[in-house]
Amino acid sequence: MFGRTRDISCLLLKNKSVNQVAFCFDLDGTLTKEEILPIIAKEVDLFEEINILTDVTMKGFIPFTNSFKLRVRLLSEIAIPRIVDIVSSVTIDENLKVFIKANKDNCFVVTGNLDVWVEEMVQSNYGCQLYSSKADIKDNKIMGIKNILDKGTAIKELRNKYNKIVTVGDGMNDCSMFSEADISIAYGGIHEPADSLVSLSNYVAYNSTTLVNLLNNLKW
Amino acid sequence: MVKNAVICAAGLGSRLGFDIPKCLVDIGNEKLIYYLLKALDRIENIRIVVGFKEKEVINYVKQIRKDVLFIRNPEFASTTNSYSLHLGTKDLQEPFLTVDGDMIVDHDSINAFINSCETGENKVGITESKTDDAVFVKLNDKGQVIGFSREENTGWEWSGIAYLQNKLIKKDGRYVFEDLIDHLPLNSAKIKCFEIDTPDDLMYMRNHINDIVIST
Repeated sequence: MFGRTRDISCLLLKNKSVNQVAFCFDLDGTLTKEEILPIIAKEVDLFEEINILTDVTMKGFIPFTNSFKLRVRLLSEIAIPRIVDIVSSVTIDENLKVFIKANKDNCFVVTGNLDVWVEEMVQSNYGCQLYSSKADIKDNKIMGIKNILDKGTAIKELRNKYNKIVTVGDGMNDCSMFSEADISIAYGGIHEPADSLVSLSNYVAYNSTTLVNLLNNLKW
Repeated sequence: MVKNAVICAAGLGSRLGFDIPKCLVDIGNEKLIYYLLKALDRIENIRIVVGFKEKEVINYVKQIRKDVLFIRNPEFASTTNSYSLHLGTKDLQEPFLTVDGDMIVDHDSINAFINSCETGENKVGITESKTDDAVFVKLNDKGQVIGFSREENTGWEWSGIAYLQNKLIKKDGRYVFEDLIDHLPLNSAKIKCFEIDTPDDLMYMRNHINDIVIST
């Protein structure tokens, strides 16, 4: 039945009268059960430094873009394939993985993290589409950042295709995504969601079984 | 089987005179909502609608039960309990038990109510009238609710507890019982429960809590 609905909706797409729901997920700390950058940092003996930066960013003391540039700069010495390997070993939430795989055509990972670091992990675990920041690379090394994703822009883009957009996240850089969404869920899977984000949300959940249960209710 | 419960705990509770949500007042060694959560222990999905001092409510509740889903009503100061219940249930695709967050329920009594709920029915919890300021229920000879009234004290009042089919609570309703009028007659069952509205209610409950919520 699902397949049939989708076929029909494709025909209706041009009229924007589709009744499809998009689910957008933050990656670090939402889908993963640990923050990714600190794990990469262990590789170059910068764990403490990156951890401090991650912590003050999550709390909103430094804007995400500044902090992210700094963190990427610190980690840019490491060869990309090595980072891809590390990222694949990060623990992820299994309940959310099952939900996304089952609904992969309407699920999106929306992350400020770099395309070259996370796309393989997103593809192999979830098989869904990815919105991310874009790296400037040369000889498997990061030369700089071409574009830092504004998550709100990603949601605006999805508006053309979906008439109901559900977002899930935990940190300050999810605020722009929440502001553009129809329904937002602040998720405290590994740490307390940022206060500003909670104030933009409709729901707050601390457990992935609870979250997936809600997502299944929101499909309709 | 009752799978979902929705507790409305968004309101100010100003009649009680404390600057905290009613669900967080101390009763015995715990806070009011602790007893409610224990009474609903075996229900799989618990939703709580929060508003006034939401962070305090969330922080307390998640220590007791981590799998609670919180639904935010940022307009708690200008909206009704009925609107909170609408927010708490509008996406829900299954029937649910609704309970007010300012209530102490007798555990055996709520368990008996839960056990009596059948698939597809709407069932209203009724309790012996305790004040004149209540919504009284009119019952027929089969024990079904056939009307609600604020004037005629029938000896039984609407408890604020009900088992309802999904999509029943309207967005712009004033009171939950008004949404039930279209569905009369409604099955009913008696529940022993106490609302904490006034300082006297609270005093009574503080002295009697151990007589009411024992069986856990």
